Amino acid sequence: MRVMTAIEIRNLSKAFGPVKAVDDVSFSVEAGTITGYLGPNGAGKTTTLRCLLGLVSADGGTALVDGRPYTALEHPLAEVGAVLEATSFHPGRTARDHLRVICTAAGLPASRADEALEQVGLADAARKRVGGFSLGMRQRLALGTATLGHPRVLILDEPANGLDPAGIEWLRGFLRHLAHDRGVAVLVSSHVLAEVQQTVDNVVIIARGRLVHQGSLDELTGNGERPVRVHSAEADRLVPALEAEGARVERPGDGVLRVYGVDAETVGRAVLDERVLVTELVRERSDLQAIFMELTREA
Amino acid sequence: MTALVRSELQKLFTTRLWWVMLLVMLLFTGITLAVTIGFAGVQAQGGPALPGRGTLEFQQAAWTAGAGSSIFVMILGIVMMTGEYRYQTITTTFLSTPRRGRVVTAKLVAGLLVGVLFGVAALLLTAAAVIPTVLIAGGEVALLDGGVPRIMLGVVATSALYALFGIGLGALVRNQIAAVVGAIVWVFVVESLLTAIPALQDVGKFTPSGAAQSLIAVEVDSGFGAPDLLPAWAGASVLVAYALVFALVASLTTVRRDIT
Ligand SMILES: Nc1ncnc2c1ncn2[C@@H]1O[C@H](COP(=O)(O)OP(=O)(O)O)[C@@H](O)[C@H]1O
Ligand SMILES: [Mg+2]
Repeated sequence: MRVMTAIEIRNLSKAFGPVKAVDDVSFSVEAGTITGYLGPNGAGKTTTLRCLLGLVSADGGTALVDGRPYTALEHPLAEVGAVLEATSFHPGRTARDHLRVICTAAGLPASRADEALEQVGLADAARKRVGGFSLGMRQRLALGTATLGHPRVLILDEPANGLDPAGIEWLRGFLRHLAHDRGVAVLVSSHVLAEVQQTVDNVVIIARGRLVHQGSLDELTGNGERPVRVHSAEADRLVPALEAEGARVERPGDGVLRVYGVDAETVGRAVLDERVLVTELVRERSDLQAIFMELTREA
Repeated sequence: MTALVRSELQKLFTTRLWWVMLLVMLLFTGITLAVTIGFAGVQAQGGPALPGRGTLEFQQAAWTAGAGSSIFVMILGIVMMTGEYRYQTITTTFLSTPRRGRVVTAKLVAGLLVGVLFGVAALLLTAAAVIPTVLIAGGEVALLDGGVPRIMLGVVATSALYALFGIGLGALVRNQIAAVVGAIVWVFVVESLLTAIPALQDVGKFTPSGAAQSLIAVEVDSGFGAPDLLPAWAGASVLVAYALVFALVASLTTVRRDIT
């Protein structure tokens, strides 16, 4: 199999009026891997994905699938599958008809509709109107829609929303199977790191439209160095003493210090010597959620 | 492109609205026919008698009954477009066909076909009512002469073109309720006034329904005097021009817009 970049986003920007929804974002996704696209609500995830899919026109930069813009793909559903909002179905149409309409437009055989329903566990509901579906069933139907053409690239926007724990577990298995057994490139967005933590190989983190991290999950946890976190209204006064001990001090703001290169006892001694009132002094765990929060916190 | 047109027709025929609209359209046409048949030969107060059931004039008037169905086709056209935005299926549609111009073209073609279907359905109902009525009255049935083919063609063409008006309006307005209410107010209030009030007919004859009336115009004196209409060829041109404008509007408003 040819190794090529399945998804490549380069310097992508999109503004809605004064809001810079996506601001100079670049990242890529390789075949056979699952990449989590993470960021709090309003970070710009959906806008990025919609630019990639040709639904929203970017102000600048490029977003390519298999080296081409989505709108230039001759048989898009055979190359890219996408799951966007959970509600994009006509409530009066049956699940099977929904898929068949798309099969017709995409030139796929109508039998694919039934296969896809089988694959996402909706065979029994095939002839029911989508209006009566639960959110979880809609998500399954959306996944069935996305995989109709056996695409090599799968893009999912918050697919876990509305799924119960069993549904999320099923989704994880489904995505792992597609990526690791079939070599599909998967890009999955979420505002909850924990949802995708166990599934993804790589993470891309975005906040306020800007990319704040791209790499493997291991890189995110920072292979090891765990800082001591100090919270104090008088944090400023501690810094010179700590630096005299050879510590490296990060100041993320709000009276918080993250102290690297010394142990907690050294920090405690500095606190005692400087007679500073601290409200928190703790060795940080490599808590992914905390790192995520830290990376994406409001400036 | 045929695949896309088939997909659009499939969209329409896998939901319930089309046959609700078809039934309402047939009901509307049926009522018009009943009135036409019921009042045939009746002497209006002080005016001349309406043509009797055996006459050619009666048949001409009756064959125009289907023309009133175009508003229902237009509503169907509106829903073909606005339904995609209302239920956000437009996302899926553009994902399978990212070249949006093709989607719009397929919708327009599908709309034309459905319009023809509705027009033909209205004609069949008309035939089922008119032919027995004429025979019972001892008249001679006119189908291929006496201006009847022109009226039939006018009914079908009007129906087909109104589907395009609906699609264009739907693409422009996108809000389903607003577009449907707007279309109804336009057809039943604005156009009715413009085409019915003699002083306004200079404008009224250039409206879509004014132009459509010229296609099916018959010389029946209803006591109000003959309406001021365009010649049939000019009416046809005006209708086609409207259809082209609406098709253009549908394309221009759909191709560039961000789908968020
Ligand atoms: N159609 C739109 N019009 C105006 N602002 C929008 C539109 N879509 C998104 N935005 C804004 O762009 C920003 C990014 O939104 P979005 O991409 O939906 O974020 P996410 O998917 O990460 O929650 C938000 O501030 C949002 O309010
Ligand atoms: Mg979103």
